[in-house]
Amino acid sequence: MVFSLVISPSPALFLPRKLPNLRRSKPPLSIHSSASSSSSSSSISMSVSGNSKSTQFDLKTYWMTLISEINQKLDQAIPIQYPEEIYEAMRYSVLAKRTKRAPPVMCIAACELFGGNRLAAFPTACALEMVHAASLIHDDLPCMDDAPSRRGQPSNHAVYGVDKAILAGDALFPLGFRHIVSNTPSDLVPEPRLLRVIAEIARAVGSTGMAAGQFLDLEGGLNSVEFVQEKKYGEMGECSAVCGGLLAGAEDDEIQRLRRYGRAVGVLYKVIDDVLEAKSMSKEDEENEKKKAKSYVSLYGVEKAVEVAEELRTKAKKELDGFEKYGESVQPLYNFVDYAADRGFSVLELN
Amino acid sequence: NDDLRRGKPTNHKMFGEETAILAGDALLSFSFEHVAAATKNVSPDRVVRAIAELGSAVGAAGLVAGQIVDIESEGKQVTLEDLEYIHINKTSKLLEAAVVCGAIIGGADDESTERVRKYARCIGLL
Repeated sequence: MVFSLVISPSPALFLPRKLPNLRRSKPPLSIHSSASSSSSSSSISMSVSGNSKSTQFDLKTYWMTLISEINQKLDQAIPIQYPEEIYEAMRYSVLAKRTKRAPPVMCIAACELFGGNRLAAFPTACALEMVHAASLIHDDLPCMDDAPSRRGQPSNHAVYGVDKAILAGDALFPLGFRHIVSNTPSDLVPEPRLLRVIAEIARAVGSTGMAAGQFLDLEGGLNSVEFVQEKKYGEMGECSAVCGGLLAGAEDDEIQRLRRYGRAVGVLYKVIDDVLEAKSMSKEDEENEKKKAKSYVSLYGVEKAVEVAEELRTKAKKELDGFEKYGESVQPLYNFVDYAADRGFSVLELN
Repeated sequence: NDDLRRGKPTNHKMFGEETAILAGDALLSFSFEHVAAATKNVSPDRVVRAIAELGSAVGAAGLVAGQIVDIESEGKQVTLEDLEYIHINKTSKLLEAAVVCGAIIGGADDESTERVRKYARCIGLL
């Protein structure tokens, strides 16, 4: 799934490229403008950094700060009370250490893109994690994907049994919705917008969204891997970005743009996960992989999958071009795309 | 592990366990979507309150709580307290939510809303 553990550092040489919000304010980056006298390839990155440092966005710090806040809020949102075991099971999955919290971070970044206050976004961000965890708990069940582990720890049903795992998921879905309506300040987000957020999340997890994706994935047969990937992974990305926009009061055309962006990033993330996994697999693992759920890699091979990933990267960034007027605040979402594709750093260090 | 529900074979008997679980998940989400998107001519703040009420009733402080205690009690000596807890949460809370949501949507003030809540609790236990 989107937040699996595979992280592999990519080479440090970044080719110079123009960030969308630089077009109006700065001249194009030029390798020759550097005053540096150092030679060969290192001068390329140095001369670029001379111009781009001021706009070099530190996604890692942004992300890790948010992870820390979100974890705190999630901890507060699910206090243990009677009957304790269900709360323990819910907390076990939601508060798992090795999570990247990508849906909430995307939601907050999308909200802040339009100048929204992150306090408006936190309850929805937490709810996204709750419903995400719920769908993962159910997906891992023996009758579904039958996964023994998730996020670096045994699956929920492996620890608590199938009954409690099912119920923990069942409890997390409504908790998410309730959390949003009970904790979002109404002076920051008027109720009509809140209702759109609820409808959006409910749609994303339901019979036309992730549940559909999971069903088709399990059913096998002629369902195209593209369709399944979009439903299973694109939905969460799309939903997270859209919710952020809704919370901030974005216009309808901006919401649609966020929708396409989020969907592309969600699928891109999964494709690269598959590629990284394929590259680290032994021959024996490969044979086992082929029997498992379809992926771009298992059907089309690594090379084609990488091509698809690049197309998705371009597509996601193209959508963000439409947000030029918001200047620097598009940076997190922009850098997110490159992170999804390149995995330039680990966000799991602090956890 | 029931074979029948409402006089018909249970969902998982008909469609398999995995489909039944997904159908339940989809219905659960759809209920919230339906309230949020399909409620007409009601002020949004009341719809929001109804969603909060529904969310409380079916989760870990409601339906799920009753179900968990029920499962835990299987094969054991059950106290009257546990029995009441199971019944209140598995059955009564949803009834309570139905009545209270109706009151909220209908524009009842807080006092009236709490009054019908008490009514519903008595009916539920009855």
